[in-house]
Amino acid sequence: MDEFKVIEIKKSIFEGNDRKAEELREDLKKRGVFLMNLMSSPGSGKTTTVMRTIEALKDDFRIGVMEADIDSDVDAKTVSTSGAKVIQLHTGGMCHLDATMTEQGLTSLGTEDLDFVVLENIGNLICTADFDTGSAMNTMILSVPEGDDKPLKYPNMFAMVDVLIINKMDAAEFFDFDLEAVKERVFKLNPDIKVFPVSAKTGEGISEWTMYLKNEVKNWKEI
Amino acid sequence: MHELGIVMNIAGTVLDVMKEQNLTTVQKIVLQVGELSSVIPSYLHECYPAAVDGTELADTVLEIEVIPGNARCKECGEVYNLLKQKRICPSCGVDNWDLVSGKEFNLKEIAAC
Ligand SMILES: Nc1nc2c(ncn2[C@@H]2O[C@H](COP(=O)(O)OP(=O)(O)OP(=O)(O)O)[C@@H](O)[C@H]2O)c(=O)[nH]1
Ligand SMILES: [Mg+2]
Ligand SMILES: [Zn+2]
Repeated sequence: MDEFKVIEIKKSIFEGNDRKAEELREDLKKRGVFLMNLMSSPGSGKTTTVMRTIEALKDDFRIGVMEADIDSDVDAKTVSTSGAKVIQLHTGGMCHLDATMTEQGLTSLGTEDLDFVVLENIGNLICTADFDTGSAMNTMILSVPEGDDKPLKYPNMFAMVDVLIINKMDAAEFFDFDLEAVKERVFKLNPDIKVFPVSAKTGEGISEWTMYLKNEVKNWKEI
Repeated sequence: MHELGIVMNIAGTVLDVMKEQNLTTVQKIVLQVGELSSVIPSYLHECYPAAVDGTELADTVLEIEVIPGNARCKECGEVYNLLKQKRICPSCGVDNWDLVSGKEFNLKEIAAC
């Protein structure tokens, strides 16, 4: 029998995914498709915020949405009423999406006629942060009822996102939610992050968010 | 399931290495997992046999080294364990640090031929 020898490798397990994600991002850039990876805990208001965002930008961009909920297609049905192109991704019980799954999703969505695609990631703040999906922008929603101490509990997620949307601001007074404390905690983890307090219910703050997003998508397509 | 997806990533990385280095049989895989990564070693051990069943890695042994989540205090330079000290520097009492280690998730080495 052959002798086994120990071979030193020292390679990140995430490296394969990171490489794949980089390729996907370059390809999307060439084709002028802006992919936003939207992450949050379950029930923070991703679908409601996506609906508001589509409403605000549907005259500027052709929009697609990929819903990655684990079991149901309820969200996909809701979003399809907005006029955006929607598909439900079947994630087979996984708790995160990687670049390969995202690429497969984009292929079945069909991106030739799209400018802006939202990936509603699986509701999980832990491992979605480790897997680059190939997106141009990583956005996280934190909702007021989850509490202002979330950045202390999930530092990885807050450190990696480009944008933090703080949703359900209409309920801030009922939850003793301290917006300034959240901002302070978040800026400490991530000095470059953009923070948008909104209420997807009342529409408060949505236009600041969508104006920023509109600019980012335009820049992506032009430069 | 998080760990199942992760094992698929591990298998992919190992299979790449086998191809690159012309290896045919792997006996052991050694991983390094940081305390602050999202990977939980005991779950990984649990789902590993099922995940590699029927693949080229079916009979491999999985070994996991845990790397401590350490930080260096920006005020006084002390290096300490973030989890044990609840992130606060034990020598000067502030919560202001740079991460030194703990987010790794590496394939350290394999035993193969
Ligand atoms: N008060 C208040 N409720 C909101 C707001 N945004 C969403 N909600 C409510 O919160 C609940 C969850 O909203 P969704 O948009 O379905 O949240 P989601 O993150 O897509 O949920 P999952 O996909 O199930 O994880 C619904 O009952 C919404 O009506 C808000 O700004 N204020
Ligand atoms: Mg939803
Ligand atoms: Zn110190």
